[in-house]
Amino acid sequence: MSITIALVGNPNSGKTTLFNALTGSNQHVGNWPGVTVERKEGQVRHGNTVCRVVDLPGAYSLGAFSEDEMVAREFILTGNPDVVINVIDATNVERNLYLTTQLLEMGAKVVIALNMVDEAKEREISIDEKALARRLGVPVIPTVASRRNGLEQLMNAALAVASAPRNGHVRLSYGESIDDKLAKLTNLLKAGRWDYPSGWLALKVMEGDEYVRKIVADEQSMQRSKEFLRLWDEIAANEDYYQLEIVDSRYRFVGEVTQDAVRRPAVAVETATDKLDRILTHKYWGIPIFAAIMFVVFQLTFAIGQDFLGEWMASAVEYIGEFLESLLLTVNAPQWLVDFTGNGIIAGVGAVVEFVPLIVILYLLMGLLEDSGYMARAAYVMDNTMRAVGLQGKTFISMIVGFGCNVPGVMATRTLESKKDRMIAILINPFMSCGAKIPIYLVFIAAFFPAYGGAALFAMYALGIIVAFIMGKIFSKTLFKGEVSHFIMELPPYRMPTLGTVLRSMWDNVSGFLTRAGTTIFAVVSLLWVLAVLPGGVEPYGPESILGQIGLAIAPIFKPAGFGTWQASVGLFSGIAAKEAVVATLGMVYAGVEEGMELVMSIREVFTPLTAVSFMVMTLLYTPCAATLGTIRKETGSGKWALFSALYSFGVAWALAVVVFQVGSLLGFA
Amino acid sequence: MWLLLKQLLAAINDAGYVSKPALAAELGRPLVLVEEGFAALVRMGYLAEDAGAGCVDLPCGKCPYASMCQKEPVQMWKITDKGRDLLANMQRAG
Repeated sequence: MSITIALVGNPNSGKTTLFNALTGSNQHVGNWPGVTVERKEGQVRHGNTVCRVVDLPGAYSLGAFSEDEMVAREFILTGNPDVVINVIDATNVERNLYLTTQLLEMGAKVVIALNMVDEAKEREISIDEKALARRLGVPVIPTVASRRNGLEQLMNAALAVASAPRNGHVRLSYGESIDDKLAKLTNLLKAGRWDYPSGWLALKVMEGDEYVRKIVADEQSMQRSKEFLRLWDEIAANEDYYQLEIVDSRYRFVGEVTQDAVRRPAVAVETATDKLDRILTHKYWGIPIFAAIMFVVFQLTFAIGQDFLGEWMASAVEYIGEFLESLLLTVNAPQWLVDFTGNGIIAGVGAVVEFVPLIVILYLLMGLLEDSGYMARAAYVMDNTMRAVGLQGKTFISMIVGFGCNVPGVMATRTLESKKDRMIAILINPFMSCGAKIPIYLVFIAAFFPAYGGAALFAMYALGIIVAFIMGKIFSKTLFKGEVSHFIMELPPYRMPTLGTVLRSMWDNVSGFLTRAGTTIFAVVSLLWVLAVLPGGVEPYGPESILGQIGLAIAPIFKPAGFGTWQASVGLFSGIAAKEAVVATLGMVYAGVEEGMELVMSIREVFTPLTAVSFMVMTLLYTPCAATLGTIRKETGSGKWALFSALYSFGVAWALAVVVFQVGSLLGFA
Repeated sequence: MWLLLKQLLAAINDAGYVSKPALAAELGRPLVLVEEGFAALVRMGYLAEDAGAGCVDLPCGKCPYASMCQKEPVQMWKITDKGRDLLANMQRAG
């Protein structure tokens, strides 16, 4: 005697392990006809019976949502298996039984292999398999396929069910109205010629199964029945309602079956994540808490990065500069090379590198926040504010990425589906204070506000966010009108940050900073040095040099903002290549001029606290760097948008810098 | 102990964010059932995952900025028009 056994179950239920345990090496692999889904078959002899075992693809349900589901249900309905072994993960019974209810609806002869009962026991999940069997009307056999436990009993039960006329006598009720229509439809469908049971076809029609609906609609005999067509239209009009009620009824059935039969250990109703989220994502306190956390981050950055490590780094840069200069003098290097090294590279690149400790600390702390899962909360708490200005909460994620560098920040907008949301997110991202802008703030903070370093840095970041919100609102009301996409964020659980991940994240950002200092900034400083010492005969680094002439030509634009000097102008000009170049250029044109003059001291002599603020506002908001503009062009697919971004951000920055200076002057600030 | 999909959809809508453990606690259902409910709502078109535009032309592995980009993408869900209609009907029905 020979029979066919179909194995069906959810993915990861241990179905394949059971298949291997049953068939051993006696199996072959192929493909199901017409699809790319793998077909596995094997053979096992049990007593005098030869069993052909077909391992069906793993599926959570037997709808028409995937090829796997279609293959599995088609074989059960038309492949004539003598018995279906439904493999259920004993640690996940509630979820797995949804598929079982669909098998019962099909009228299949079912045996349940309650697999991985050892794991369920370890997790203190107690299952009364007799109660389950009674309620489902099918045998339930506990197994541990990986250890071959329970296989003998499973095969015995399978053979017994295969030889019995029918099992799975439980009938689901979907509510009176649906049951009534189902009965009528089943009756009408009996007039057709089908490969499927008419009761199952009727259920699938009511559930809105496209595949089945097409089969039924194409049947000639059905098209001639007025009663059928009337019922068909009636069902179609309420399709969504029926679908939901049917699915809900299955879950209700699963609930009733597992009630008392499956007991899980009492778990805390509220997890630590939930408790934390009640505070950190609070409707009113969420944003102030976020602001407070960021404030603490900046305070710590200054306390550790500047006060503790900053002096050490500055001394190291100074020492390297002196060492290189003396080395070059010792080997009788030409004067231009000594000058280029000392006043160009060390004064320029060195001015940027001096701030590495601060950047290390800042990204270390940001890495801690990100790895703990808090940054997703930050995006969530900003969601309402973002929506109020016509943006969706997810935009804030790309803004947070922009805190590291605007290039990946702009690229991160790809996670936004709506074109409108994406365009706005791209155009406002450069207002985020990227890592390259930090040295600019730090120079000016060290010169004028050393006692308020953390607060000043926090204010710059906050201003960037506020301006981004305002521009977002303006864009959503003018250039990119449309409704705000309504998305709901899934908050991942909090976790303890791991040192390795945090250090790697910090290093990724710092190495990027150092790489730019050694490449782009080096190149920019070299070019600017040449422009600063040419043409021959003029005073190097003076207003008559080429660099000075360029600066003088631009300077009048910045006069209303209070920093209309040629040095500040060329600094801003060079920042379009890369933002770090602003400090490098200032380092060269100020500190490089006078021997031993530190940049901070020079800045203090040339700027005032008010013009320093005005200049910081300008550098925060003005034209994005070349790499960001290139990315904007690529992401928007248009050079026009890159040009627009360059010009409008310059306009916004200039206007705000002018307002700061003019209003500040009127109020008597110097 | 059954899970009503309508109840789950309404809870997602009310919460404004998705935390499956919190939803399980609120609805008094096992987490696995809430996860299954999510999958069912997606399958039935009431809930949709926001896949974003995606970096199709440049996989993360080849992107020079990948290390500075978002490490763990935040999963977003959207209640579809079909889902919104259902919520509106539920509200009308009281």
